[in-house]
Amino acid sequence: MKSVLSLLRTKSIYACRFYSTSSTRKRFYKNTNVLSSDGLYEITLDQRKLKTPNGNPFVVKSEPLAIAVATEWNNQKDIIVRSSMHLTALCNTSLDNPNHLSKPDMVNYLLNFLPTDTVLFQSQGEADLAEFQQNEWDPVIEWFNKRYETNLKKTLDISPPQLFETDRMNVSKYLLSNSTETLHGFIFAVDTLKSIILACATIDRFISVEKAVYLARLEEEYQLRHWGRVEWSHDLSQLELQARLAASVLFIHFNRAEHAKKEKLSL
Amino acid sequence: MTASLATKTLRGLLHELRAASPSGCIKQSLASKYVIAQFQQYETTDEQFCKAKDEALFLGQTYLTYLSSLRKHEEIKKEYHGRGERSVRETADLVGFKLPSDPK
Repeated sequence: MKSVLSLLRTKSIYACRFYSTSSTRKRFYKNTNVLSSDGLYEITLDQRKLKTPNGNPFVVKSEPLAIAVATEWNNQKDIIVRSSMHLTALCNTSLDNPNHLSKPDMVNYLLNFLPTDTVLFQSQGEADLAEFQQNEWDPVIEWFNKRYETNLKKTLDISPPQLFETDRMNVSKYLLSNSTETLHGFIFAVDTLKSIILACATIDRFISVEKAVYLARLEEEYQLRHWGRVEWSHDLSQLELQARLAASVLFIHFNRAEHAKKEKLSL
Repeated sequence: MTASLATKTLRGLLHELRAASPSGCIKQSLASKYVIAQFQQYETTDEQFCKAKDEALFLGQTYLTYLSSLRKHEEIKKEYHGRGERSVRETADLVGFKLPSDPK
């Protein structure tokens, strides 16, 4: 009996400790700043340097990214709300790589979204919805086929869309040309939208972040017209998705901008 | 004269940065300094660097979306997030009942 009690007690302590570190922690610093040396940027909270959850030094290659992360920490009020710090989370994931993902793993993960991409499954039952999806989604599919030299076709029934090996090859070639950091951003974006086509369209600046989230929630938007909009559900999820997607797009562009700059110098 | 898209984005960004800052003052803020410097840099760019300018504007708008989405999300959460159980009096008021202690 005693041992069970002590076990329960230790368990609850763990639970408390876990809770206190993961979701509620008071702001323990006053100022945040960015330090730079040798083209690398670090974030300081007062005198302390920011570290990743695994204890690695938090070092990024891009100045705007470091500034955005420092701003994120500076914008925390009394309590540090980590669930709203998407840029910090993305940097941490790419620095620690907690799932030990290699580049081929990540590309495979992303490619698996292709045959079940949201925009390839269109409705046929309701004429209004079908027309809506056709008007909104078809231009993006067309753009994607042109840009990545694929031949993806939408499906109107339960059978999955046709996917040729060349399609997979062409998209994977493009994905493999990205750095590991950038691919972490891709995964975050694709997980948010459940669509690699929409994610690529946003990252390549074909559509804006708001538009991409709107297109990913297209059927929901259609139903809203009939049944009404509920702020604490629809708006909340829309805003959450927008923040997540915007964070990943910024992360990818900031990580790429460094390379573009270096290329220009060498010319 | 209507403000250009770039000016609107810059204004929006500064507004959101101010709203997000705990002190409400962004004079010393690294982000606001960086954003203003970027807008000044691309303002004078020739047309031949048009692509870079578009990209900078796209990133500005994306950051604006990021900040405003986070702020609105927080506002909605604050409004609707549960604050625990209602008291007996609050529940009685809600359905139009009186407590036994209230005068009839």
